[in-house]
Amino acid sequence: MSGAILAGLGIYIVTEARGWEYLGPDGPGPGFFPLWYGITIIVLSLVLVGRNVMARASEPAAATNWREVGRALAAWAGLAACVGLLKVLGFLLAFALFSFFLVAVMYRRPLAPSAAIALGMALGFYLVFPVALNVPLPTGRLGF
Amino acid sequence: MDVIGHLYQGFAVALEPANLFWCFVGVFLGTIIGVLPGLGPAATIAMLLPLTFQMNTTSAIIMLAGIYYGSKYGGSTTSILLNVPGESASVVTCFDGYQMAKQGRAGPALGIAAIASFVAGTVGVVALMLVAPPVARLALSFSSPEYFALMCLGLAMVVLLAGASLLKALLAMLVGLWIAGMGTDLFTSTSRFTFGHAELLDGIDFVVVAIGVFALGEVLANMEMRGGARMLPVPKGLRNLLPTWQDLKDCRFAFLNGSVIGFLIGVLPGAGSTIASFISYGVEKAVSKRPEKFGTGVPEGVAAPEGANNSETGGALVPMLTLGIPGSGTTAILLAALILWGLKPGPLMIQDNPSLFWGLVASMYIGNVMLLVLNLPLIPLFAQILRLPAYALYPVIFGISLVGVYSVSGSLFDVWMLAAFGLLGYAMRRLDYPAAPLILGLVLGDAMERALRQSLMMSQGELSILVARPVSATMLFLAVLLLATPLFKKANALRVKAIEQAD
Amino acid sequence: MKIRNFPILLALAVMAGIPLAAWAQGFKPAKPIEFVVHTGPGGGADVLARFIANAMEKEKVLPVRMQVNNKTGGGGATAMAYLAEKQGETHTIAAYTGIWFTNPIMRAEAKHTMKDLTPVVRLVLEPAVIVVKNDSPHKSLRDFIEAAKQNPGQMKQSAGSIGARDWVVRQLLMKNTGANWAYISFPGGGERIAALLGGHVNMMVIEPQEAGEHIRAGNMRVIAQISDRRLAAFPDVPTLKEAGFDVPTVPQVRGIVAPPGIPREVVTYWEDVFAKLTQTPTWKKYLEDNLFEDGFMRSAELNKFIDVFSDTTRGILKDGGIKVVR
Repeated sequence: MSGAILAGLGIYIVTEARGWEYLGPDGPGPGFFPLWYGITIIVLSLVLVGRNVMARASEPAAATNWREVGRALAAWAGLAACVGLLKVLGFLLAFALFSFFLVAVMYRRPLAPSAAIALGMALGFYLVFPVALNVPLPTGRLGF
Repeated sequence: MDVIGHLYQGFAVALEPANLFWCFVGVFLGTIIGVLPGLGPAATIAMLLPLTFQMNTTSAIIMLAGIYYGSKYGGSTTSILLNVPGESASVVTCFDGYQMAKQGRAGPALGIAAIASFVAGTVGVVALMLVAPPVARLALSFSSPEYFALMCLGLAMVVLLAGASLLKALLAMLVGLWIAGMGTDLFTSTSRFTFGHAELLDGIDFVVVAIGVFALGEVLANMEMRGGARMLPVPKGLRNLLPTWQDLKDCRFAFLNGSVIGFLIGVLPGAGSTIASFISYGVEKAVSKRPEKFGTGVPEGVAAPEGANNSETGGALVPMLTLGIPGSGTTAILLAALILWGLKPGPLMIQDNPSLFWGLVASMYIGNVMLLVLNLPLIPLFAQILRLPAYALYPVIFGISLVGVYSVSGSLFDVWMLAAFGLLGYAMRRLDYPAAPLILGLVLGDAMERALRQSLMMSQGELSILVARPVSATMLFLAVLLLATPLFKKANALRVKAIEQAD
Repeated sequence: MKIRNFPILLALAVMAGIPLAAWAQGFKPAKPIEFVVHTGPGGGADVLARFIANAMEKEKVLPVRMQVNNKTGGGGATAMAYLAEKQGETHTIAAYTGIWFTNPIMRAEAKHTMKDLTPVVRLVLEPAVIVVKNDSPHKSLRDFIEAAKQNPGQMKQSAGSIGARDWVVRQLLMKNTGANWAYISFPGGGERIAALLGGHVNMMVIEPQEAGEHIRAGNMRVIAQISDRRLAAFPDVPTLKEAGFDVPTVPQVRGIVAPPGIPREVVTYWEDVFAKLTQTPTWKKYLEDNLFEDGFMRSAELNKFIDVFSDTTRGILKDGGIKVVR
């Protein structure tokens, strides 16, 4: 499976690389290096796919625990939502919401302590970065 | 050369109360920015530059250099505790440092990192003081074919970083090469793999990928199970927070290895501290009596890269001070500072301003001692962060990663890239692809392609230039040898099996 | 990282609501100025910007402070896009260099040109010199060109990327003489110098200030200067024209540009501030120390210069076989 995706990436790299000069008047062009590692990716990923097919014939692969993957992907979706909200809400609000999501939803902590932790996180980051260290955080439409 | 006399005068300069004070300010600030991911010494020095116009130049360079080498000390802290590389050079420290922390040995890991930094940092200064001019001349004899061979040697380290499957490690490395190639081609200004985004014209910042793949990938994997997010054990008592004699004994060679490799690679203008730490980790593993233990939390796996990235500082100052040639982003801004103060960095600077050079050297000895004294008591303090329950610790890691990446470029696009690489890191963990080779390919890819193309331009397309020069030929030979070892091992295993069956 | 500590966006939002013309009458900055540069700390534009910020304070030309903000990436494209986004913002300016002209011509991803912004002044012209290693057999540029003609492709120049000033100089010289030599790109100035001093290349084009100490130490020798008249530091070295090469002089230009859509009064204000700055002793000493030429030009003149300069560059790029997108 991952082998097939990588083979696809390799094919993409090689097609792109063929669009660039391989050898220019001054020496190797921009297509020189990508062409070679692209080809290597294709070859190695096909070997991987081949090996997996052979292995699967002899013993069935372990089933993926989709519940676990689901949890990780949910956390990632929360992160992506947080990043998306940075532009609108600013770091402090978006991050507080994300922390609340992690604590209350992902770890099923009671609402009140979750909210306290989320607010504490935002406050802590505010005190350490913009106040103490002068590092600007992303600000939103609301101005902070 | 009257080194003792010069050094005596240097200490007289460095021990003036004002200079001692600025040295402390420098190393203190350096430690802090080193601890914070993203925020690096180059940006900090630029920020403080206006202040230095009111200072005398010797005090100013003492402080700015303090920030530079101080940041290398702090870089290991988040690598070990949170698997978030604090500086680009500390990625390698994550490999064994974070594993040690997982086993409840965060304190010893931090202690080893501080001691390795001290030893190698001091060796770097000694070397800077004694051998700077000849080493700088040696560095000039290094040309593109040698750089290419060095990068190949570095890339061959993939064999040592591979986990269960060498094939997957190689694929991860190649993807790293691909990511390194994104952006504008230096030679022809062709844009490659930018998908039409102006943000990608300069490629993807190394820190974004490293934090995404290491820190976020790890956290996401840990979040798979609510109950699985166990707390890391933090033993009580000061004794358990410091390295044992056995740890230090295990690290004897790593201290030396890190010091020497870090300094030599630091002198080369075209290589950097990240490459130095990778190579010294690889060498340490290659000569170790227990290579199979690397990556599971051995102290020498922390000591070698931490030593290398500190001793690299002394090395990087060699071409800057003796030739006026900057070898890295941070030395470039230091050089700019010297120019803005009205000094003339170049081959004659040490001769023209001996008190500046020797004062700086002496202050670096003092600064390294200060850093050790400053960092050791901080260890128990930092280790406390692991006492946080998982549901509170993970938001901290996410937050630090987001801020760290944003502070590098101030661009939200990079924060999106961080999220994407976090997902990639998680997927790689699920599918048993090791992350280290990807980072290795990313670090070396750009420089390797460049060196290869420069070499071929110099030779008008003759590949023989790569092997016709003794230094590059030797390194290429070593690289091939390294790549071939797994094949030998496999062949040997088959042979042994065949013999057994024959019996 | 970003170097500014006053993201007072609330204040900005309030200001954006006020009709600009109303308060631009007799414009005077009311808060610190954001000074955008496209290089990281230590780069050429960054060092100039930090010097200007310091000089403004020292000479009391500007009533408020200036904060340098590094918007790196895309060969200036990121900084240009950032500036274009700041439509009408009167407290932001940026330092441009030649790459702000060439980059949008060469790359589709760089969506903004100098014409989309408000050019304010031109400040300096940086001349360059052609140097060889001290033990090189080439005593003059003519020697080097002859050597290149006899061994086509064998002579080497260490340089930056294609489209940079040293590339333009090479293209012009090759076209003028019919010689041909290799152009080897290095990412940093330090590596370029190291390659020359290590004897791995034969020649390079370099800023006189950068080469100054290597020349004084006897590591490098100047064989020609890329300047209309001889620089005070090298009275005995011929300019390109004097050496018999009739090619246009290509200076590195540096100046100040503002976001699009700012009122005329504000442009005039900045023109006056920089005109005053260039008259101060601090500025004059800076030009002298760095061997820069005073290239001061107000915005009307600068706009014409931009047209001419962009056209010339486009022509040179096309001649060199580079794809031109604008």
